[in-house]
Amino acid sequence: MSAISIELRKERRTGAAIVLPAVGLMGSLYAFANFLVRGETLLSLPLDPMDILLTQLYGMIVVLNMFGAIVATCTVYGLEFRGGAIKKMLVMPLSMAKIYASKLLVLAVGLLLAVAMQNGALALIGSSSLPPSSCDMGQVLVFAGYSLATSMPVLTFMLLVSSRFENMWIPLGMGVAGFLSAVALAGVDLPLTLVHPFVVMLKPAIAMSAQPDIAVLAASAAHTAVFLAAGVWLSGRGHYE
Amino acid sequence: MKRAHFKQAHHPPLIIETRDLTKRYKDFVAVDGVSMHVRKGSVYGFLGPNGAGKSTTMKMLLGLTAPTAGEFKIDGMRFPGDKTAILKKTGSFIESPSFYANLTGRENLDVIRRILGLPQSSIDEALELVGLAEFGGRLAKKYSLGMKQRLGLAGALLGRPPILILDEPTNGLDPVGIHEIRNLIKSLPTTYDCTILVSSHMLSEIELMADDIGILNHGRMLYEGSLDNLRSQALSSGYAADNLEELFLAIIEQDNLARKQKALL
Repeated sequence: MSAISIELRKERRTGAAIVLPAVGLMGSLYAFANFLVRGETLLSLPLDPMDILLTQLYGMIVVLNMFGAIVATCTVYGLEFRGGAIKKMLVMPLSMAKIYASKLLVLAVGLLLAVAMQNGALALIGSSSLPPSSCDMGQVLVFAGYSLATSMPVLTFMLLVSSRFENMWIPLGMGVAGFLSAVALAGVDLPLTLVHPFVVMLKPAIAMSAQPDIAVLAASAAHTAVFLAAGVWLSGRGHYE
Repeated sequence: MKRAHFKQAHHPPLIIETRDLTKRYKDFVAVDGVSMHVRKGSVYGFLGPNGAGKSTTMKMLLGLTAPTAGEFKIDGMRFPGDKTAILKKTGSFIESPSFYANLTGRENLDVIRRILGLPQSSIDEALELVGLAEFGGRLAKKYSLGMKQRLGLAGALLGRPPILILDEPTNGLDPVGIHEIRNLIKSLPTTYDCTILVSSHMLSEIELMADDIGILNHGRMLYEGSLDNLRSQALSSGYAADNLEELFLAIIEQDNLARKQKALL
């Protein structure tokens, strides 16, 4: 607990802890605005109303979340490298793995808040704008869990690369390259594309059904576990030379 | 150059002890079999020209880089097994000051204080000690080089650690600052009951602070012993006892010459 409170204090004035909740708020406002303008057009699509609600607005929301994750991860390690603070942390009686885990936890909570806000907005839109008895809150909850799970690979991957490069432009560039390549690959119906963490995050946005895809979920779990383990392991190993 | 060895019977116990400590980077040897003996409660001046291996040795003592060969003990403890215990009792300042640019000086120290589990009052004490009390509320990125250096020192002194490892702590300070920090370092073993390992490339500076010195050149320890011993050696070698700089330069020159001759062979 104290490692997390220390982490939050370190992040003062950087905005790192509020990037993801802010992105959540933006995503929620976008959902309201979009449904207000295009609601009727969207509901006229030949799809289940719940699928329309959850998948047709998610495209923009997932892009916001992805860039929020990229910026937040780059910032939380950028602050360690900027004044050489990481060098001081390395000679403190606190394991680097603990620092890494604290950063991930702060970011994951931020992402959880973002997803909760965005799906809360979708639930409000569903209960007020969908045809009577077609809004299923259980499905909104399942989709919220699905979007959180599929976003974790990018968050853990970006934190891992941010922790390894002192120059913030490198992870930032990798994030942008990841997004652009994922946009190109997300529509390709090849299971192999699921090795790309950014593709996994975009999958729920290009699906026509809001039902979780087991293969995508399995890929998310595998990515998250691998990137998390690699990040914790590498953080405890880097000697300062 | 003959090495003067400490006699255990007449001196306090050793708190830092290295044995044949070596650090190799591919075909470059940064530290070459250094055996160092730092007595508890003393100020040990680690002296050598730039690139002699002082910082690398200090980094090894702090676990920032792993030795290629050799070993060391700090207060009877070893890396990596006792890493946390060693770092808990060691305050350090290596190379350039390290700080969170987005935090104020006081907030920077608060991060360290929380990690070490120290009381709030320790921050004011450290700021006061390094003469930064009135600038504690300023963002660290807006500090001058000298102020950053003082902040780094305050971070090392926070909580009065029993061991201090300071790498060229007066770098970037103005003459008044150098004088203040030098006096502070000299007074710490008495006031705080601590041991200090301090590096510099200037004998004139070390001479004013240290009880014992180690002279390093090209990674090798050329001399280790008390300053008094060095003074006697200077006299017997025909140098003035009050001008150790000449003896230091002669030691380094002699070693450089020997290395050149060895390389030619």
